[in-house]
Amino acid sequence: MAKFDPIEGRYVYLTIQGVKYRVYYEESGQGIPIICQHSAGSQGLEWRHMLTDPEIISKYQVIVADLPYHGRSLPPESVQWWKEEYKLTKSFFIDFQIELSRALGLERPVYIGTATGGFLALNLALEHPDEFRAVIGVEAAKHAGTATLDTFDHPNIGNDYKRANAMYFSAPANPEKYRRAITWVSMLAAPPVTKGDMNYYFIEHDLTGKTQQIDTSRCAVYFLTGEYDPTSTVEDTMELAKEVKGSKFTEMKGMSHAGMAENPVLFKKYLMPILNEIASK
Amino acid sequence: MAVHFINPNKTSSFINVLNSDPEFKIAARYMTKDVCIEVGKTKCIVKFRDGVITQMKSENAFADPWDFAIRGSVDAWEKFLQPIPPRFYDGIFGGMIRGNFVLEGDTVSAFSHFWAVTRMLDIFRELQNK
Repeated sequence: MAKFDPIEGRYVYLTIQGVKYRVYYEESGQGIPIICQHSAGSQGLEWRHMLTDPEIISKYQVIVADLPYHGRSLPPESVQWWKEEYKLTKSFFIDFQIELSRALGLERPVYIGTATGGFLALNLALEHPDEFRAVIGVEAAKHAGTATLDTFDHPNIGNDYKRANAMYFSAPANPEKYRRAITWVSMLAAPPVTKGDMNYYFIEHDLTGKTQQIDTSRCAVYFLTGEYDPTSTVEDTMELAKEVKGSKFTEMKGMSHAGMAENPVLFKKYLMPILNEIASK
Repeated sequence: MAVHFINPNKTSSFINVLNSDPEFKIAARYMTKDVCIEVGKTKCIVKFRDGVITQMKSENAFADPWDFAIRGSVDAWEKFLQPIPPRFYDGIFGGMIRGNFVLEGDTVSAFSHFWAVTRMLDIFRELQNK
């Protein structure tokens, strides 16, 4: 008898900012909907453990999409995308979540995103608090600082760079099988995509001076940050949590930048109290 | 704690282990570069030729040329070489972001061969704790 995962995958057509996209998404479970957003230069595979966790999918409807240009969501057919540099913008990233939620008929889902997706949790809570019952920002910060993006898409730098980098964005004591899988997933992204996603991460995302406008009575806000993350540090998120009144912050000891993928068992330990609190409201 | 990879008495065994490591052999393919690993004031020049390490030189290497260098204090390397390093010392890239290590020279070459370099440094850690 063959063994199957409980995941179902299909495509949905979303029109975002006037352009039609064929978007791949996977879902499993029933209950409160949770939209899970992957990180920069990655795809929904990052959330595969959450899609198959029996306890989680017994209470929650877990939805994981590949952003356009990522994973199985190809660039749109109606646009000559090869004539311009790919860049993920804040407005597109926000609109994508809203359109996905509406197209799937979700009723005030929970949003959880990591790294780039973790940053977006703040934008959603600030600009669309009534669309989501709660947001969970994993590795979130007000601003990522500055970085050189060209190394992510350079003709003389291949995928070896991404695999080497990705390995050390997971914490050293976590299971090697998961850490190595992260390196593989990082190599699946087209090089322009990794660089283009960084446009939002390093350049467009900056909530300096705006965090106190987030109303957690309309949309609950939670933060999870890994002890080892060198980009969004525990201190960065603590500072952020102090400014977002009513938010809750938990440091994930022994974790780094890709919690749900680098150690799903440990990540679940940190996540479940948050999900249970959201469900109890 | 003494940093073993700059100990001239250990050089030949380090080279043997590196060149026979299955992952390193793949990661270092095509690499012909001279890499400077600087531990405090001590330079260690690692010569790669067609994916094989032909020399590790840490004595009288102060004037040897290199393509790119990774610099860190003795304290930074000692933390890096711990079996489970503390945060911001567990990887070179993250360490650079936090200012604990510095990359200089031909950075495009460094990043194009980053897998080989990071695997080499992980093997340095494994041999440090053997």
